[in-house]
Amino acid sequence: MSYSNKVKDFYRHQLSEIQNAGIYKEERFIHSSQAADIEVEFPSGASVRKVINMCSNNYLGLSSHPEVLKAAHEGLEKRGYGMSSVRFICGTQDIHRELENRVTEFLGTEDTILFPSCMDANAGVFEAILTSEDIMISDRLVHASIIDGMRLCSAQHDTFKHSNMEHLEEKLQLHADKRIKLVITDGVFSMDGDLAKLDEMVQLCEKYDAMILVDDSHSSGFIGRTGRGTHEYFNAIGKIDIITTTFGKALGGASGGCVSGRKEIVQMCRQRARPYLFSNTISPVIIAGVLKVFDILSSSTERRDKLEINAAWWRKGLTEAGFIIKEGNSPIIPVMLFNAKLSQDFSKDLYNEGIYAIGFFFPVVPNGQARIRTQISAGHETHHLEKALNAFIKVGKKYEILGLTKEQITAKYGM
Amino acid sequence: MYTAFKDHLANQLKEIEEAGLFKNERVIISPQGAEIELDTGRKVLNFCSNNYLGLSNNPDLIEAAKRALDDHGYGMSSVRFICGTTDLHKKLEKKIAGFFNTEDTILYAACFDANGGVFEPLLTSEDAIISDALNHASIIDGVRLCKAQRYRYENADMEDLETQLQLAQEQKFRLIVTDGVFSMDGNVAPLKKIVELANLYNAMVMVDESHSAGVVGETGRGVTELYDIMGQVEIITGTLGKAFGGAIGGFTTGRKEIIEFLRQRSRPYLFSNSIPPLVAAAGIKLVDMMTKTNTLQDKLHRNSEYFISRMTSLGFDIKPTKSAICAVMLYDARLSQEFAAKLLDEGIYVIGFYYPVVPKGQARIRVQLSAAHETEHLDKAIGAFGKIGKELGILKK
Repeated sequence: MSYSNKVKDFYRHQLSEIQNAGIYKEERFIHSSQAADIEVEFPSGASVRKVINMCSNNYLGLSSHPEVLKAAHEGLEKRGYGMSSVRFICGTQDIHRELENRVTEFLGTEDTILFPSCMDANAGVFEAILTSEDIMISDRLVHASIIDGMRLCSAQHDTFKHSNMEHLEEKLQLHADKRIKLVITDGVFSMDGDLAKLDEMVQLCEKYDAMILVDDSHSSGFIGRTGRGTHEYFNAIGKIDIITTTFGKALGGASGGCVSGRKEIVQMCRQRARPYLFSNTISPVIIAGVLKVFDILSSSTERRDKLEINAAWWRKGLTEAGFIIKEGNSPIIPVMLFNAKLSQDFSKDLYNEGIYAIGFFFPVVPNGQARIRTQISAGHETHHLEKALNAFIKVGKKYEILGLTKEQITAKYGM
Repeated sequence: MYTAFKDHLANQLKEIEEAGLFKNERVIISPQGAEIELDTGRKVLNFCSNNYLGLSNNPDLIEAAKRALDDHGYGMSSVRFICGTTDLHKKLEKKIAGFFNTEDTILYAACFDANGGVFEPLLTSEDAIISDALNHASIIDGVRLCKAQRYRYENADMEDLETQLQLAQEQKFRLIVTDGVFSMDGNVAPLKKIVELANLYNAMVMVDESHSAGVVGETGRGVTELYDIMGQVEIITGTLGKAFGGAIGGFTTGRKEIIEFLRQRSRPYLFSNSIPPLVAAAGIKLVDMMTKTNTLQDKLHRNSEYFISRMTSLGFDIKPTKSAICAVMLYDARLSQEFAAKLLDEGIYVIGFYYPVVPKGQARIRVQLSAAHETEHLDKAIGAFGKIGKELGILKK
């Protein structure tokens, strides 16, 4: 075109609307490895400064762990850089199979299939196994990738109110006549940090003859006594039909995801899941790193234990300081500010204090529920957490919100 | 409830197997290359990878990846806009834009995700997508996720495209979408003509250069270089997972506002991990290498011409191709499987494709040439094809 001024102006106009609404996403450039201490250039062109990262999914501090790096180096040497193929043509190495087996063993499932990302795992799993005779019943707060996967599937779809078991039961009764019923939930919800009530959900699924899928992306590696995930936490190992998860967060953070669960379901994905059949295999270097991550996790629970202690300390510290935080049992700890602009200002002031944490607001969270989402890591030492807490308190005092209720904060700053 | 579902799936799996369509994976225990080693202990020549430039195990890329491991660690554990953007990501985005002569670039976990996330943010139900019938599955899925009106034209059929453009005139914006090289046939989209029609009917153009970047055009800049129309298409998508090192990662490159808008709204970008720094670093190295010398592209072009001309003179029925994909037509699904199995016995690793990957009655062996192939590799493969072709009665004895 015909990239006419009409088209250009249309997108320019939309971009300026995003900017005017104050919801333009600006990227900060990191010049170091991912870790508790990072070196950041922000805004673009500014000199690089050292800050403490309080918002990564590097829950176990393994994203730049020396043993993982060493394994990746060796992976490059032994198995090369890329495979330049999908899995079923010439993209399967012995280490891909090895990782699938390791995941199966770790999660206590029957079989596992790797995907380039958990986004792709979620995008591909539903269409591969369900048809229009079936029903997907999902929690209203599940991740965007599950929503896209359901949009690509011809099965019928219904939702239940977030973690509301009575509502789920109603929906299971309502859809009793469908051939296959699949209940779908995140294990840990990424914006609030709360855990799905898997124990009750499993019971309901048994009662109403439904299957269950759990996305454990924000739990694999650290939730549960030995870090297996939410199914371990709720004593439901072996009772979850499908677990999807990622290697892109706690498990090294590079890339890759998987579907793990019943043997036939995994087999069906291998034959039918479109992102598996039509996208590249995970590169050997990444596989080598993830294999090392599982070695580390299997040898000791030290890192997830430290994460639990860190998260408890952080929750207590914020609460005692007078912040409103969302209750939960995960290392995702949202500091509630309610007002979108306040969340952005707060984040900027924290950055000036050397603390990197992002403010989230509508549409990522509901209107009037703006927050700073903090994510704790086993990579954090006490001095990191103390410095971060002091900064939160200092900025909290500046905005005079410490000890205030939600009503008082919104009265001051608006919703 | 799994019991009932288990039976249901087991039946479906059995049907797939009985139809001879079950995909079994061969296990490789060496790096990717012209010669690979299988877990059976056999060494075979690989003629079915997308390793077009032979860079999947390139020492310079590996060196760049290692350096990034040391400087920037293993993973970012974040999406781009939270804390998953490094200086390397920004640098690679600029390099790719420079390579394709575009305005800006956005990286994705894969080109599958680039294609999955490009349409929905840009187009609404008031707009039209006009798509080639043989476009890649990831484009189809991206279109399925978008509310725009859909029009489809027969593969590379410019009369049909014109008809569809006429039908789409009532929509506000129009986007023509095509693969640069069609992966199953190897033919190149008639992009020059597409751009002409786009100008005539006021449409934008998007081309997926996954199988053409690094391969097509004198310096490997893809189909826009081949037709001398660099900078004239609005959107190019491509992958780092084939010719460009073959690890992971994809991109959308094109008009500034479009890329900027995708950064704000494209779901696979906002909700999936940033590519690891080592992949970004190897990508930067790769663009530098490709800008400096043409050796690999030249060798790939020579290899492709050599292989295709020899195979044609042997009497094989080859789909017209201008890429490194050479479809050896066998038509019958069972024959394609038997042929591939016998080739493996001869030490040649290829795959036979049949319905539904290609149309019914269009089964074939897809050979993919690489700059990693030496003449002796090509001769061995040609020899094996000839031998089995005669054995199976396809070629005259």
